[in-house]
Amino acid sequence: MYCEVNEKERAGVINPIFTCQPCGAQYASIGIKECIGIVHGGQGCVMFVRLLFSQHFKESFEIASSSVHEDGAIFGALNRVEEAVDVLLMRYPDVKVIPIISTCSTEVIGDDIDGVVIKMNETLLPEKYPGREVHLIPIHTPSFVGSMVSGYDVAVKDFVSYFAKKSEPSEKINLITGWVNPGDVTAIKHLLAEMDVEANVLFEIETFDAPLMPSGNHVAHGETTVEDLVDTANAQGTIALNRYEGGSTAKYLQDEFDIPMIIGPTPIGIRNTDTFLKNLSEMTGKPIPESLVRERGIAIDAITDVAHMFLADKKVAIYGNPDLVIGLAQFCLDMEMKPVLLLLGDDNPNYKDDPRIQEFEKNIDYKMEIITNADLWELENRIKNDGLEVDLILGHSKGRFTAMDMNIPMVRVGFPVYDRAGMYRYPVLGYAGAMWLAETIANTWFVDMEYKKNRETILNVW
Amino acid sequence: MPYHLFKCSESIPEREKHAVIKGEGEDLTSALPLGYLNTIPGSISERGCAYCGAKHVIGTPMKDVIHMSHGPVGCTYDTWQTKRYISDNDNFQLKYTYATDMKEQHIVFGAEKLLKKNILEAFAAFPEMKRMTLYQTCASALIGDDINAIAEEVMEELPDVDIFVCNSPGFGGPSQSGGHHKINIAWINQKVGTVEPEITSDYVINYVGEYNIQGDQEVMQDFFKRMGIQILSTFTGNGSYDDLRGMHRAQLNVLECARSAEYICNELRVRYGIPRLDIDGFGHEAMASSLRKVGMFFGIEDRAEAIIAEESARWKPELDWYKARLTDKKVCLWPGGSKLWHWANVIHEEMGVNVVSVYTKFGHQQDMEKGVSRCEVGALAIDDPNELEGMEAIETLEPDIIFTGKRPGEVAKKVRVPYLNAHAYHNGPYKGWEGWVRFARDIYNGIYSPIHKLSLLDISKDEIRTDVGFETQRLLSDVNLSDEIKNSTTLREYTGKYDCIKDLRDKTYPEYLTKKVSEAV
Repeated sequence: MYCEVNEKERAGVINPIFTCQPCGAQYASIGIKECIGIVHGGQGCVMFVRLLFSQHFKESFEIASSSVHEDGAIFGALNRVEEAVDVLLMRYPDVKVIPIISTCSTEVIGDDIDGVVIKMNETLLPEKYPGREVHLIPIHTPSFVGSMVSGYDVAVKDFVSYFAKKSEPSEKINLITGWVNPGDVTAIKHLLAEMDVEANVLFEIETFDAPLMPSGNHVAHGETTVEDLVDTANAQGTIALNRYEGGSTAKYLQDEFDIPMIIGPTPIGIRNTDTFLKNLSEMTGKPIPESLVRERGIAIDAITDVAHMFLADKKVAIYGNPDLVIGLAQFCLDMEMKPVLLLLGDDNPNYKDDPRIQEFEKNIDYKMEIITNADLWELENRIKNDGLEVDLILGHSKGRFTAMDMNIPMVRVGFPVYDRAGMYRYPVLGYAGAMWLAETIANTWFVDMEYKKNRETILNVW
Repeated sequence: MPYHLFKCSESIPEREKHAVIKGEGEDLTSALPLGYLNTIPGSISERGCAYCGAKHVIGTPMKDVIHMSHGPVGCTYDTWQTKRYISDNDNFQLKYTYATDMKEQHIVFGAEKLLKKNILEAFAAFPEMKRMTLYQTCASALIGDDINAIAEEVMEELPDVDIFVCNSPGFGGPSQSGGHHKINIAWINQKVGTVEPEITSDYVINYVGEYNIQGDQEVMQDFFKRMGIQILSTFTGNGSYDDLRGMHRAQLNVLECARSAEYICNELRVRYGIPRLDIDGFGHEAMASSLRKVGMFFGIEDRAEAIIAEESARWKPELDWYKARLTDKKVCLWPGGSKLWHWANVIHEEMGVNVVSVYTKFGHQQDMEKGVSRCEVGALAIDDPNELEGMEAIETLEPDIIFTGKRPGEVAKKVRVPYLNAHAYHNGPYKGWEGWVRFARDIYNGIYSPIHKLSLLDISKDEIRTDVGFETQRLLSDVNLSDEIKNSTTLREYTGKYDCIKDLRDKTYPEYLTKKVSEAV
């Protein structure tokens, strides 16, 4: 037993890994076409999340606020929700879906967003907007529960459970991506196309990588439609790539509509992508085509070029969204690296029951630490004060100062990445993602070696 | 000066009084946009909250402090690493942020114990840090935790630490501006007068309302030091906590951003009799008159004049190089608050651009008064703009460039209008003579980008030249310039360094003996 799972001992957070639940719900909302969410709370809960998305994607996304001020905090602010819905509907004629996303303040004061939705469905909508298709969906994401990860999971489930409706069985499968980048969606859709599988991709966010068009009218937005969401009840199966970001939706569809489900493993690395394709094949009866055998071969060829010569035995620290961290750790192990520290940044009690984490506990033969409810000080303090040696950090931009100050090479993965250009375009999923990860990690070391001059710089001439 | 109702806002007619078009010969009394009123919900306004106004804008630029927020983790995370307020102590305030991580059980049973534990943990993790600022959030305000009491308790137990508490929950006021006010008042009430500073000069100022965005404070500090002026404290960019406790000993408060920090200046005047002098670090003329004013106050005009002459000679030819190429370009000046009037006339006069619109997210009517009076006739002034109004304004005004925030800048990008980051700058600093040239340079590079020109073409139907391998900013900007300007031997492009702050940190300054010392000698 060399792998230990421990919870952070300190009560507080020094340099958080995640932001809070409403951000996750907002991220889900921008994946839906003709949807503008209203965040019920102070204005900062929206303004900063929009900034965060724009830092990561270099795009602007539309999300509204109910702009709760003092009077609302004292006397209740449901009137602000009603006004916000009305103003949105008046000024955005295409908007159909309006999630009402709660925050800590409006949960603490006990604003009944479910009640106000019923009220608006009975009065505002039929009286002022007769005949217009409008869906108001209350989403409870108090900031003092979970994290942006659980907020995303909650919102996806709330959207699906609101819309899903059984009709004719469909040939499609539901594919719930979890919190991924446009590049990941492209990679997954490519695998689906090669497998000749039709899928309802939740959410279709490839378009977050939006063009600058000559017409000048382009706005970045997700493309999952109301019809897609309704149709989730008719799929022949659901695959949720991530356990903690969409897993509960897969389970909901199974419980409610008897739709078989497979949750994970997150298809990061060759092995997990193999599993994903096998699962896909089993679910749909479609064979894995020669083209993917070849694509897999190209990726393995590329990884072989760097794995045992450069990557082997290197120590890695990984932080970020749990499925991403776990998937990366598994892949690093396959590439002969040694993940020594995994940081999972919230207090989800289910991590210890995750079979992937249990597999680490069972089979890891060197010292690996998994910290739950972690913050980034758990990383920095170990390196700075406890003598932990790390050759590579995998994580998002918020932890960049640790890498910079400790002179440790870092590859940016996950969300948010705002100090490297275009990272949302590159996948970590699928064979393409495996190849990109291996080569990017190797190249990062090559540059590091050249700057530090701490190795024979001829080593990377091979 | 008629009010302007945007087409997109016809359904919310109360918006009409938030926008005006500046008419020929009209004065401000005829119409001024409403300002600092509650936001219309669902309008997709760009405003932030009072917590961020206090913590993010004013609190965190303080450099030698543990900045802790009492609440769920999001407020802390979201206001961390999103602004460029650097410091000369290796950016401690940017690198570390602290959240008490309030959870459901704390909402129910109170989080004061959690807060105390957090404070002790943070001081233990950073034993060299002895100062802390503590910020209330929506959640901790609503459950009624007594943050001040906990801070007092800790200060009693740990005599070498000092803690400042700012109670400014996100819902406090229409925008971030409410938080600016609260933290100003909280600081003077709690901290000013609790440290006696060492006075080393006959001329002692507080430099107030300056946040060291990309090094602005360090640029301005350089001028004051060259004049032999002691900067007792900077509120708050690159500022030190203990220095700011000694603000009461200054002879003059030199105020830069009046929107965010005039409150503390006014209180320092009332309580300690320290006069307030408003200055402006943006623009060559503004710099000259600012240093002159400070020089006059202390009777050291000669020192100011020497700097003005030196800096003007060094940088004016470079500013004029850009002015020749920026003249008559249309600009939307859409910052957060006070930059609308700091920049409005000076960019017109010194860079030749025409300000076709000003807006403010969190400014008050007095900001609009100054902004509207300083911008060009015909300009559209908007208070608390929203997404659709911004788009409509861009369509009708067709600006060549927009000065705004990062996210609205992405909106502008998509309609093929370049933007410059008005809050955190592109390649700043923008203050001082050199900084102002850097600003002009950034505008120039934005407007005359060959890629921007390509973005206007539609490959499917427009005529595309196939005999051109590349273009440069210069090729684009000089097309219609006179030979006299093109071939000028006096004008020149920016010649400063990529990093113009580094050298300032190692610089030595002339020693001016104080009267007391020179009399003794």
